[in-house]
Amino acid sequence: MRRGRAIVFATALEILGEPLVLLVLVASLAVASLAPAMHYHQFGEPSRMARDAGISALLLGGAVVACAGTARTFRREIESGTAQAALARSVSRTAFFLWKSLGCFVAYAVFSATVSLVSLTVVRGAEIGGAIALETGVMARLWGPSLALAVAAFVIPMLVAAALNRFCRFRFVITANLLSLALAAAGSLYSFDASLACRLLTALALSAAPSLVLLSASAAFAVRFRSNAVSLAVSLVAAAVLPALGNYCLSDALVDGGAVPGQYFMAAILSIVPAVAALLMAGVHFINGRDVQ
Amino acid sequence: MNDDVVISLKGVGKTFRDFWLRPTVKAVDALDLTVRRGEVFGLLGPNGSGKSTTIKMILGLLAPTAGSVSVFGLSPRSVEARARLGYLPELSYLHPYLTARETLMYYAGLCDLRRSVAAARTRELLKMVKLEDVANRPVAGFSKGMARRVALASALVGKPELLILDEPTSGLDPVSTKEVKTLVKALAMNGMTILTTSHLLADAEDICDRVMILDHGKSVAEGRVADLGESLEEFFLAKVGNADEFVLADFLA
Repeated sequence: MRRGRAIVFATALEILGEPLVLLVLVASLAVASLAPAMHYHQFGEPSRMARDAGISALLLGGAVVACAGTARTFRREIESGTAQAALARSVSRTAFFLWKSLGCFVAYAVFSATVSLVSLTVVRGAEIGGAIALETGVMARLWGPSLALAVAAFVIPMLVAAALNRFCRFRFVITANLLSLALAAAGSLYSFDASLACRLLTALALSAAPSLVLLSASAAFAVRFRSNAVSLAVSLVAAAVLPALGNYCLSDALVDGGAVPGQYFMAAILSIVPAVAALLMAGVHFINGRDVQ
Repeated sequence: MNDDVVISLKGVGKTFRDFWLRPTVKAVDALDLTVRRGEVFGLLGPNGSGKSTTIKMILGLLAPTAGSVSVFGLSPRSVEARARLGYLPELSYLHPYLTARETLMYYAGLCDLRRSVAAARTRELLKMVKLEDVANRPVAGFSKGMARRVALASALVGKPELLILDEPTSGLDPVSTKEVKTLVKALAMNGMTILTTSHLLADAEDICDRVMILDHGKSVAEGRVADLGESLEEFFLAKVGNADEFVLADFLA
């Protein structure tokens, strides 16, 4: 367990410390919090717009974080020689691969939790705005809350992280990532609505399913192929071809009115778990069969 | 298996292959090697002679294509065997985003040390390698010598019975080199078994009890340093030759 904790901590720290991950997070939060406000005035349906923007941000940003973060950490571990330094210790290759994959998942979970919580707050804000519009007949000004949320979600964390880096030598990128998560959690608690949270978080969790397949594929193929391009291409094909049914089930459910019934959730889990397990088993086979140098 | 034997290689060979499994390089060929408990054993040879490949087979990182390797009587891939050894690679492979303290805590975690024990051991080792003042700085900003000292400390974090050092003084200044040699001698005095490679024959002569000279993946000589009867450098050049120097001299003339 102590070996696992060390590997998970180092891996999550590495991925969350990647400037690319912070850039993707900022872009995703901008999409989730600002993009809906632009569309409200043209198309109406504020809460639906907010929900779709959040899911899009999580799908796209999550895929980048899952694929790039995982592939980069495994490739760097093997190419820079830190894998051989670790595998010369009392840790088996199977454990090393699986714990490292879990570390990638932890980093991905931090990213998706931040985007999900911000989306939850935005959708709640949009629902309130919509209710005011119905009562008063005047479309509520939605730009103000959206901008405030964007500032709270990623501008404040960046400024605080910069100050902590300057005066206390805290790691800028990791601090900014974790502060974003903390502020997103605080925002969603402030405007908490149990029914909305249940529906939206289920939908957001399901939309993350393809990213989990992509994460497992990236881990497995990064230890198999020497070329980054080949590894990436095979991972993308695997994630697209393997039955990431969660995505399709989610689409069906959303068309039916936004709620995600339990049967869709179970179907998604049943389709994702075997794919992730098969890819991780392939990764274990690949790392046990290769020379590490 | 004799309890006294820590490392045993019998007829070991390693041939690297390309993507189509065609043999490309025969790095090690029919190598027999035995390292006994408490010994400081030097693996010497010119560049490309198969020293690092041999060490990586002992560590279970590379699979031999012929022969057998055992460490403490076990397969080198077994976790039990590797729990008893420490390894300093040829280059200081460190995670650049971790601080020196986090690096040692990471390797202490891999050695399954409890957190309190790991913290105490980390403090002790940082003091030993004189990096206490920069313990909280990421190793990405360290000089080659400082990174080398972190790597050396991480090799010792699990209090190994067998220490494998691949070019331990590579990148170190003369003062640090002397300190490493003193440390190796002190560890050997305390009963640690040490397998080291080095290009610097004077260093090997100072610290090794027994040496093996490799050339083109084969053992060309093996024996106790004290029994050589001449300097290790003369012995080495007699066995391996210095043809490259003659070619260069002819070219310059």
